[in-house]
Amino acid sequence: MDKKYGVYICTGCGIGESVDVEKLSEIPEEEGISCKSHPCFCGNEGLELIKKDVADGTNTISIVGCSRRVNFDIFKFDGCIVDRVNIREQGVWSHPRSKYPAPTEEQKDDEEFIDQVQMLADDYLKMSIAKLEKVDIPEPFKLDAISKKILVIGGGITGISAALDAVKAGYDVTIVEKEAQIGGYAAKLRKQMPVEDPYENLIPLQINAKINEVEAYSNITVKTNTIVARIAGQPGEFTVTMKKPGDKIEFDVPYPLPEEMKVDENGKELDVEKLAEVYKEYNSGKTDILTLDPDGELFGAVILAAGWRPDTLEGDTYAHLGYGEIPDVVTNSQFEEIAAAGKIKRPSDGKEAESVVFIQSPGKGEDDSDFNYCGSVTSMVSLKQARYVREDYIDGKAYVVYQHMRTPGLQENFYKSMQQDEGVFLTKGEVMSVSKNGSGLIVDVDNTLLGEQISIKADMVVLAAGMVPATMDDPVINLAYRQGPGFRDNDLFDQYADSNFICFPYETQRTGIYAAGCIRRSMTIEESMEDATGAALKAIQCIESVNRGVSVHPRSGDMTFPDFFFQRCTQCKRCTEECPFGALDDDEKGTPLLNPTRCRRCGTCMGACPERIIGFADYNIDSVGSMVKAVGVPSEDDFDEPPFRILGLVCENDAYPALDIAGLNRLELNAQVRFIPVRCLGSVNVIWIKDALAQGMDGAFLLGCKHGDDYQCHFVKGSELADIRMKKIGDALTSLALEEERVTQFEVAIDEYDKLPGMINDFVEMVEALGPNPFKGF
Amino acid sequence: MGDRYLVEPDLDFVKDVIGRGGDSLKKCFQCATCAVVCPISPDKKPFPRKEMIAASWGLKEKLVHNVDIWLCHECGDCSTSCPRDAKPGDVLSAVRSLAISDYATPKFIANAVNDPQKLPLLLGVPAIIFAVLAFLTMYCGGMMETIFDSIFGFTGFHWSHGTQSDVTSHSDFVSTWFVDMVFVPLAFLAVLVFAQGLVRFVNDIHANAVAEGKTDKEEFEIAGFFQALVRVIPVILKHDKFSECSENKDRATAHLMVLFGFIGLFIVTSIFFVVMYGFGIHGPYQQLNPVKWLANIAGISLVIGGALMIKNRLTKENQTSSYKDWYLLGLVFGLGATGMLTEMTRLAGSAFLAYFFYYLHLILIFNLFAFLPFSKMAHFVYRTVAMAYAEYANR
Repeated sequence: MDKKYGVYICTGCGIGESVDVEKLSEIPEEEGISCKSHPCFCGNEGLELIKKDVADGTNTISIVGCSRRVNFDIFKFDGCIVDRVNIREQGVWSHPRSKYPAPTEEQKDDEEFIDQVQMLADDYLKMSIAKLEKVDIPEPFKLDAISKKILVIGGGITGISAALDAVKAGYDVTIVEKEAQIGGYAAKLRKQMPVEDPYENLIPLQINAKINEVEAYSNITVKTNTIVARIAGQPGEFTVTMKKPGDKIEFDVPYPLPEEMKVDENGKELDVEKLAEVYKEYNSGKTDILTLDPDGELFGAVILAAGWRPDTLEGDTYAHLGYGEIPDVVTNSQFEEIAAAGKIKRPSDGKEAESVVFIQSPGKGEDDSDFNYCGSVTSMVSLKQARYVREDYIDGKAYVVYQHMRTPGLQENFYKSMQQDEGVFLTKGEVMSVSKNGSGLIVDVDNTLLGEQISIKADMVVLAAGMVPATMDDPVINLAYRQGPGFRDNDLFDQYADSNFICFPYETQRTGIYAAGCIRRSMTIEESMEDATGAALKAIQCIESVNRGVSVHPRSGDMTFPDFFFQRCTQCKRCTEECPFGALDDDEKGTPLLNPTRCRRCGTCMGACPERIIGFADYNIDSVGSMVKAVGVPSEDDFDEPPFRILGLVCENDAYPALDIAGLNRLELNAQVRFIPVRCLGSVNVIWIKDALAQGMDGAFLLGCKHGDDYQCHFVKGSELADIRMKKIGDALTSLALEEERVTQFEVAIDEYDKLPGMINDFVEMVEALGPNPFKGF
Repeated sequence: MGDRYLVEPDLDFVKDVIGRGGDSLKKCFQCATCAVVCPISPDKKPFPRKEMIAASWGLKEKLVHNVDIWLCHECGDCSTSCPRDAKPGDVLSAVRSLAISDYATPKFIANAVNDPQKLPLLLGVPAIIFAVLAFLTMYCGGMMETIFDSIFGFTGFHWSHGTQSDVTSHSDFVSTWFVDMVFVPLAFLAVLVFAQGLVRFVNDIHANAVAEGKTDKEEFEIAGFFQALVRVIPVILKHDKFSECSENKDRATAHLMVLFGFIGLFIVTSIFFVVMYGFGIHGPYQQLNPVKWLANIAGISLVIGGALMIKNRLTKENQTSSYKDWYLLGLVFGLGATGMLTEMTRLAGSAFLAYFFYYLHLILIFNLFAFLPFSKMAHFVYRTVAMAYAEYANR
């Protein structure tokens, strides 16, 4: 594309009062670039000015003013590359003239005078022009043929609801169910908790009506006694092989080698050929992931609704509860089975169970936690089952001993109504033991609301065992991905199929696979049905995004995708291994193969690549590298006491907005720092840091999301990977006789804008104490 | 099991509490707002939070044997602040009613007093008794005089008290002898019922206070208890505790009027009794007599106090009033009203009306005396003892 540049400097919002716009205009003008200024480019008059230039052929535009996070819908010109130079929030608003004074008339010609704010504006504009030279308009990736069918794994209440939602929105659906009929656990209950106003009483099961509805739709295909053997390919063209449970077929998905098989008997790592050999042996009889099943069925997206199984409550932690030892101590799901079959009778002798204790938390421990994999649903199930006892016996007594009674939303009405029953007794308490007492049981509880250590006589005891996601035992989705058949890093989520519960529900760590219902967390039927709708909408969003060749989420609508310069690829596999979403497979030699519709465009591959051969049309090693190099680094040749220059690479998901908010609140930032937004810290290639230090910048920091167990990284692994890379860069710095403290990484949440000035300014002071970079001026 | 408390919920007790006006008890979710806002609850082991869960679990003994339920004056601060509308004040009131029934013997009377369907019986029995006695007095006077003289002649007492033939005298309707033959034994019976109840009551509340750590006294000493009782009496007379409530201040006034009304009438009756049997002077007294002044003031106080209480109950929205409450209020107001009307009609010279109201008055007095240990009225004994115990036990 022939670029015709245009720079537009807005003088509104306090910019004109602080920055010498005329002087700033000299920068583009010196390079022969047209530059205009206006007090309000976002107003009609200003906008018309730009539009006129666009009509006259300007197609590469730098708008100097507010943050890219505002007015993005206004500064949008078809066929143009637009860059925004943020000298408002991160310029004049956070660098007040009271702190960084403008030159007086006499000082204007003083060469030793350092005008910090002007230098900052100059640098940002130069960086923008440098970047614009290196980027292009992206072209969408389009699949040759796209399938818009949705595969639903699991025919329980969630799967059925998702299928119905999707089919009503106009998409064909196939449900695979491993059992002989659909309905799942929701069909095995005696009664169901309320799902609508007034949320007070138990209701008959809803599942049969739902099953009938499914049967009425010709474009829902139900495959019972079926599981997924393999899902190959990528969103929009998943090739799915199905099979009967227990069958062994050639398209069963191969598994990656376990760590212990990657080394020889001496613990030495096997070489590439040997590894391939062992891998083949390990997966003998299974076709490689890159071979597509010719008989496979094509799907656009997958809804994972494989549900849960009751927790087995094994181990010493539960020994005091008598589970497994005493037949009349059962789990909630066993109790439901008894209740669904008829009157509640004791398993040991068939005697009527008129007094039942429901235990919500294992007790007798350091904390008051509930059973694993519990949630509000188990609280409510205990209330529901207490009701069964009261339904069956006039003098029935149902005790609920809890540490937490969770009844979210309008389910509070359900709690209130169950509480009204004179035979239902509730108390907080710590269960100490369940033991035999003649033919019955006795439950000892401490710290109750009744004020002391109590004992309760019972015919039966019911433990609120949790709901373990199906992904605990089995990958379920069986993806033919190089990173393996299941979700990676699922340990972080206790094997729930999840990626970031708060920010991105339904989205798993695999694009195109959307989880709903109890595979995501323990849920009631009501919640599962609502969840199903969410996942169905996500699946549809995925299909339609793929259809337009854009990213699904979190960079919804992003048209770019990573581009590889394969001639220089060394097959190191870092990109394949580090991609948080398994977007890359590789062939036998280890050459990466991109599946663009699996990609979320975070750029983690770009940050990982030691050869720097991966980039995006509008975001690549060169574009950011050029910005770094465009930063003016004053040396002793320029000033007696040259100011420092520090590079801040800022994650644009949370950290960049936080910086803007800091500016909005007029919090002061040190004027020696230059910020560059990055897609994710995972995309930061260490070469940028090296470039910065090599040209004399005094320090660099990364500003991004929290990582670790409760990470906030929008791309799951980005900030964690960046942290590892920054630790490694420390060694390189030491070898250059540079202090490793000069490079660091900060974690910030979007609401921690008030902590930013402290964080950044302290770092600058620390670098100032270290002294200037000795490479300055070379 | 050691010291563990074996929880054995009594479903019937829960139903009884609900039946006696505590129908909101199961709404409690144990936030303890009630125990915090209660102006008279002690800092250590405050009520009524713990009473609420004990009630909803049907733990009868923890409530009936609990001194705290009597420390509550049902001012309603807790019920007003309760976020769940569980009305702890009303629940405790129902529990107290059950406690009264529990300590009273025989049980069938206690049940009858709390059963609206038995009200005709409660009124009918004295109605028949006094109808018979009135018939004997009015139409068989000569025969009664003969019988009386043959038995009691030696004592110098006479059958008839109706000495002034120009004055309407109630003894011409039902002989004072008959009246006292009914009420003196009834009063002794009531004292007996109370006595046997109180022995159990004091033992129970002490055992419960020791078990739940509400007292520092291990052994119960009767002398210390009586000293505490002496200290508590002025507190009760002045309604100090009652006045600490903010929600329901006017109730304290009404209660005070009723209490002093009863005390005044008790004094009047005692003087009348002593003067009649000691000095042989019969009523009715002149209006100028200071005893009469006291009687009139006490009677008016009872009527006004009773009317105020009824008005309070009717206007207070977040308070549940059940049969036990209306029975007592009806009795209190009825006693005052019939008493005053009897006097007024007598002074107006209408013998028929005077006898009619006196007849009603006698029926109500019978209810007061006979059912005193069984009705809500018994609270004056139990609460007094409980407050004395709390004072004694450093509750």
